[in-house]
Amino acid sequence: MRQFPFGSTQAPLSHPGWQIGPGLIIAGSLLALTIAGLAALLWQAHLPEVAELWQNRYLGNVIRFTIWQATLSTALSLVLGLLIALALARQPRFRGRSLLLRMMELSLVLPTIVAVSGLVGVYGRHGWLTSVVEHWTTVRWNLYGLNGIVLAHVFFNAPLAGRILLQALESVPAPRRRVASQLGLTGWWLWRTLDWPAVRRVLPGIAALVFTLCFTSFAIVMTLGGGPASTTLEVAIYQSLRFEFDFGRAALLAIVQLAICGAIWLFMVRRGLSANLSPQRSFSETIRRPDGQGITRLRDAALLVCIALFLLLPLAAILLQGLPGLVTVAVDGGTSLADLAEATLRSFAIALPAGAFSVLSALLVLALAGRGGPHLARLSSVATAVPLMVPPIVLGTGLFLLLRRSLGHSSQGLALVALINGLMALPFVTQLLKGPLAGLDQATAQQADQLGVLGWYRWRWLHWPRLKRPLALAMAYGTGLSLGDFGVIALFGTPGQPTVPVLLYQQLGSYRMELAAGTALWLLTLLLLVFATFNLPGYRKRKQSRHQNDALNTLAEARHA
Amino acid sequence: MLDVKNLTFRYPDTETTWRFTFQVDHGQCIAINGPSGSGKSTLLNLLAGFLTPESGTIHWQSRLLNDLPPWDRPVTSLFQEHNLFEHLDVQTNIGLGMHPGLKLSAEQKQAISRGLASVGMAGFESRMPGDLSGGQRQRVALLRALLRDQPILLLDEPLTGLDAEACTQLRSLLLRHKAAGKVLVLASHDAEDRKILADKQLNL
Repeated sequence: MRQFPFGSTQAPLSHPGWQIGPGLIIAGSLLALTIAGLAALLWQAHLPEVAELWQNRYLGNVIRFTIWQATLSTALSLVLGLLIALALARQPRFRGRSLLLRMMELSLVLPTIVAVSGLVGVYGRHGWLTSVVEHWTTVRWNLYGLNGIVLAHVFFNAPLAGRILLQALESVPAPRRRVASQLGLTGWWLWRTLDWPAVRRVLPGIAALVFTLCFTSFAIVMTLGGGPASTTLEVAIYQSLRFEFDFGRAALLAIVQLAICGAIWLFMVRRGLSANLSPQRSFSETIRRPDGQGITRLRDAALLVCIALFLLLPLAAILLQGLPGLVTVAVDGGTSLADLAEATLRSFAIALPAGAFSVLSALLVLALAGRGGPHLARLSSVATAVPLMVPPIVLGTGLFLLLRRSLGHSSQGLALVALINGLMALPFVTQLLKGPLAGLDQATAQQADQLGVLGWYRWRWLHWPRLKRPLALAMAYGTGLSLGDFGVIALFGTPGQPTVPVLLYQQLGSYRMELAAGTALWLLTLLLLVFATFNLPGYRKRKQSRHQNDALNTLAEARHA
Repeated sequence: MLDVKNLTFRYPDTETTWRFTFQVDHGQCIAINGPSGSGKSTLLNLLAGFLTPESGTIHWQSRLLNDLPPWDRPVTSLFQEHNLFEHLDVQTNIGLGMHPGLKLSAEQKQAISRGLASVGMAGFESRMPGDLSGGQRQRVALLRALLRDQPILLLDEPLTGLDAEACTQLRSLLLRHKAAGKVLVLASHDAEDRKILADKQLNL
């Protein structure tokens, strides 16, 4: 008879230190990096300059415009998002509903600079819509300035708000929805009993999220701002750093931005609003609502078609204008082709390490939360949320000030870009991995403990099967985010060595629209390629192991029951 | 001999304190009796190390088990359900009980196949638990427990909800295991189970 045969020493890496140590190091480094960046800012921003904020008219204008455009964008995005969500909730059988939902998801991964080039193709000076409208009416409209900025922000954030709101609407408990359906409640009463209570819970959170996104948007304002009258804090920071070499002012602006974003973040955390704001992919059962008939149905359908067009037209513009552009580049060859190829390689040299870094850090830091006590869990959640609290450009500014003397070679700059890109992706990647990693139910965990399936073995047999698909998606996400990044690279890169988004920006800036459309299409293709490469093997395998997934699904259901 | 002395446990924020004292010899089965909520499952979880007692001792062969983590205790648990890793096939489920990293020798693999055949499940190696009936799942779980070959088997309603044929087969497996000198600790509502398997009773 064997006794005590399975010592904990048998499984490699099963010492508790392995679950905590690496995560602790990563979390500590993340915090240290952030603190170093912030400290550099404070050290650079001389206090006497604070008065500049209200004495200098330019700076005052910048702050006022930043808040104004963000408020306007947030309000419009929320209204449009709510209209979309209500229409979708009322019309569960709308043809193309799931396709529309997918398109609304796209705004999460579409690089801003690509979307901007699409928007320019539709609403720009020679855009489709502009030509049609100007031909038939006397309406004149200029995309550059507040118009364009708000339009682009709504393009990105209305679908985001719509998805989260739809989820809130559909999360109303089924019994309550059935009662409403049976009573035939419509209009005001349906809104009061069913929709408003659901929406009210998430509205402040979404408002804060969208406001932060619009407040800190960089690429959109850079490309569509069109002049000092419509400059935001982010762009002003960039200009101070790169063109005016006024580091003190850049630091001061970064601190202002940090203060405002930090205040919003604190407000979210205080009210417990930060949870569950990421759109989920599953939607609950559909119970027919009494108010989805007749004239409302027509109105909803019209609205949804308009939204679909609003989202689709810029993409179509990229495709239709980009294809000839790309063909020209490919056929003519020469410098354009060489530029594009070089930029592509450079982009991947940044994006792949950035994706890997974000996924790896997310895993290790999440492991902290699972194994340690409450203190480690808090450290883990703070470390992964730091990039949300401290906008990348603020962190970038700090690190730029800290390292600018020692950054000799341009490849060091690129490494820094990869690092900050990875940090930016961290909150999203964490969100993707958190569920699957923490999803071991008690029965499974106890079994594994008893059998001694610990350390590396536990990872191999329990976590890996559940995590490989989320991991692939997270890797695609992190890589994609970095691939489309324009803000950080603008700060640290050199114009002579562009990544694909920077190349696109340069082409947009010099009004080489055909070339720009081609580059935008190319960037979009690269993104699709990244997502396909990371996720296709999973799909093929999924077909073979359908049983396995059925089993996983039943397990999930069993846990609810 | 498994020797449990004055083992006490209280769930946080509750008044009731449970106290357990009993001894079981090699080749014996003790049945834990009592209505639901009388602490049967609690006792089994204490023995397995899933719960930490307030006071008292658990000795096995005069060695103190209290401070050992679940993976170092000479026990295997068998619950009414949720005994298998749902995302792993039958062979992997059993194999992880024999080596926690599934590093199996050819003989061990053969032992799994033989074991499956002996419970009427020949050729089920690559089936997923989700595709099996309740009785088949429980047979796989018991097979793992037996092949794991630990001296103490903790049974928490192991046969509840199974059809008569499965019950008969599983009982005979358990009896054979007992005859091989193992200790069985059985919590079961079923009088038949207790009559056939148990040598002594503990009333809670």
